Formats: sequence, C-alpha cells, structure tokens
Amino acid sequence: MLDPARAHETMLLGVPLVVTINADGTIAVQRVDHAALHQDERYGLVWVCLGTPTRGILPIPEADEPDRPIVVVGSVGVRASGPRVIENFLDLGHLGYVHARYLGDDPHTRVLPYTVEPLPEGGIIATQCKMFQPQASPAATEGFMVDYIYKVERPLATCLYKANPVQRDRFDIIFLIVQPVTEETSIAHPLLLCLPDGTTPAALRAFQQTIFMQDKPILENQVPKRLPLADGAELPIAADKSSVAYRRWLSAIGLTWGVIRADEKARAA
Amino acid sequence: MNGLQAGVWYAIAAEHDLPKDHVYRTMLGGHELAAWRSTDGGVHVWEDRCPHRGVRFSLGEVVGDELRCQYHAWRFGKTGACTFIPAQPDLKVPRTIHAAVWPVALSAGLVWSGIEPIGAPPALPPGAVLRAIPIARPAASVAHALVKEPLAGLALVLQPLDETATIVRGIALDDDLVRADHALLALRRRLEQAA
Repeated sequence: MLDPARAHETMLLGVPLVVTINADGTIAVQRVDHAALHQDERYGLVWVCLGTPTRGILPIPEADEPDRPIVVVGSVGVRASGPRVIENFLDLGHLGYVHARYLGDDPHTRVLPYTVEPLPEGGIIATQCKMFQPQASPAATEGFMVDYIYKVERPLATCLYKANPVQRDRFDIIFLIVQPVTEETSIAHPLLLCLPDGTTPAALRAFQQTIFMQDKPILENQVPKRLPLADGAELPIAADKSSVAYRRWLSAIGLTWGVIRADEKARAA
Repeated sequence: MNGLQAGVWYAIAAEHDLPKDHVYRTMLGGHELAAWRSTDGGVHVWEDRCPHRGVRFSLGEVVGDELRCQYHAWRFGKTGACTFIPAQPDLKVPRTIHAAVWPVALSAGLVWSGIEPIGAPPALPPGAVLRAIPIARPAASVAHALVKEPLAGLALVLQPLDETATIVRGIALDDDLVRADHALLALRRRLEQAA
C-alpha cells in the first residue's frame, strides 16, 4: 500500500529505490542514483526491471476472467533469500506441522507420491499433489483431501491451483511473487485469484497473512540463508521432489542471486 | 580461526541452562550449536542445523529422547541419527541422515564441547555456577583483561562466540552469585566502553 503523503523506500537486487504516488494515482519508481529503470503495473503490483527486460511480466491468463477478483494480500518482509521463500511455498511436508489445523494436521502428514515435470517454456510443474487439510480456506467448514497443482514459471514467482469447492471444473489460484531485496532478504507479495465464495477480501488477506506468519520464523532460521544448489548440500527425500527439481532448474538457468551455486564452496554456515 | 583452538574443551552452557524439554542455542567460534537434555539426563550438543533443509534445531522440540525439527518434524535420536520422517512414515531412514554431533562432557556444572577436545575438561574448584555473561569483545581481549586484573574468588572460563563476542562462565568459590555478577558486569562495562 502506497501512502501519498510520503516516499516509500524499498530495494531491488541491492539497489535502493524510491516509490512515490501522486495525487492522480500515478506511481513513479526511481533509483536513488537516478539510473534508468523500467516500471510497469500489473495485478495490483508495481513491477520494476533494473536492466532492459528480455521478456514481459509473467502472464496470468486467469487474471482476465471477469468473475475472478485479484486480492493483493500485502507485502511481508522476510529475512531469507528469495529462492528459500519459493521452495517453502512448494513444500508439502511442512503443511501438517507449520500450518497445523489449517493446511494439514498430524497424523495426516504423509506426502503421497506426486509428479514433477519441466514446463515447456522453462520452470517446473508439480501435479497430483494431495493433502488432507482441516481448514483449507476461510470458507472451509470441515477438513477434506485437497488436490493441488504447483507451478514455478519464473525463478521468484510461483503459484498453486486448488479445485474450487463449488465450481469443480475451475481452480482457485494463489500466487507468491518474491521481491529479491538483497541476496539474503526478500519481500513476499502474495496474490489471490480465487472465485468468490462469500469471503470478504479482508478475511482472505487475514487468512493468508496468518499462513505466511507461520512460515516466516522457519524461513528466517534456515542456515545458510542462500539456497544451496549442490546435490547433497541438504538431504531431500522422495517427498521433496519439487524442491529437487526447482534447485536443478535454478542451476540449469545459471541463477546466481540468493543461491550457493553447485560449483561454489559453501560459505561457512 | 575465531579464537577457537582444536583439542581444547570450551564451556558452552551451564547445566542449569538445560531444563527438561528446552533446546539451548549458543555459538562457539562462529559455529552455531544446539544443546538439549534427554530423559536419562544426558546432554547432547549438535550443530544447530537440521541436515534436511537447514532449519535451526534450536527452534525445535525435545520429545522424550529425541529432538524434533520444527519444519518437517523429522526426529533425531541421541546418537544424532534421524529416526522418523512423518512425510514418509514407512521409510527406513537412511543412515546418512544424521545431525552433526559435537563432543560433550559434563563437569563442574558446565557443559563442555570443542573440536576434537583432548582429555578431560579443565578442573574447576567447587562453588556456585555463574550465569552466562556475554561481552561484546573478542575472547583474547577478555582473557587479557582477566590476566591483568584477576577477579578474586572467581574461577572463570571463556566461550568465544565469534570474532567479536565472548561469554564468560565459571564458578563463584564463595557461592556469592550476586557479588560475582557485579564483578563481571563491571568488567563488561569496562571492556565494552574501552572498545
């Protein structure tokens, strides 16, 4: 939320930025050093590219569906690297513990086999994910098995699809866009593209903020802060398939920000 | 490195820092450590990091004789070996999934660890065990000050946290913990203000 009364300071990839909103609602982003940047607005968020964009902002076709409002959940600062934040979003095994009584519960903690494949345009997709969820959304009145699809199309943008309980052939979609502030700090910008079920935007926001606040202390206590990409740096099991695929994809595209590359000696933790 | 010498025992906690079910978080020479007590009274000192996804063990919970990571509730037994993975409850956990275990000795009411420590921890005289006093100065500076002006009636040892900070631990020979506290807080003020 931008306050017209003051300049909003933020940072992208270590570069300080100042964001101002004028009385007419125009938003201007400037580098403190006044170097050029590219700026755009989409899905209720302000997007910035420090260089020359080689492709457009992540397309979200569902954002054009007229009966699907976009709810901007709010920005949450987290002292963790962007890739750690994305990996946590993809993680099924923590739902029954970190999000106990919401997105999972002991003893329904088994992660059933699921499928992970590369996306043709780059990135990964995890399908056939299933989890027992006591309180899958604010509107849920009882626990049920929830089917999920996860997608990572950009290194720091991910989303999940879950079947809408009323319109069974359509999905509710939750996006997590991560702003890389420094290599070890981030701002998470979750977006909801859910079919209206009577829940107010405020209640949707409150629910997602509760969920993210449960993840935050975990994320801030991961060591090392940068995501290690070498096989064997951490010890995944079959349930961690999407994490393995995500890390390998980041390696393959040569991402360097917020990660410890496979050929780099791990910094003393 | 970081003032930490191999072969030496360092006091990294007092036994009274480790009540039942608590995971005590500390540092030694830049290494993050988690110390906890199993039901048999044994004390375990591990690298403060779950090998699965790197979450600090000190966020976790002691469940009986096991330490449970807060992220995915993987359980680790007294040897450091992972015993149970709830995401795959039928999995026979591979032996490679293991906490990094540090040496541990209990002596004089203190918990000692170090890198390949030799022999037994230093003998300290009987008395009351002090609370940990952190000082934002390197261990060498604190040691130097204590040699120059020894504090009467206290047997002290130093825990180098990292390059910049130290914890003073030890024994008050006359059991007067209040007097010991005053003496150490005065030392801390002196050293930190001089810095």
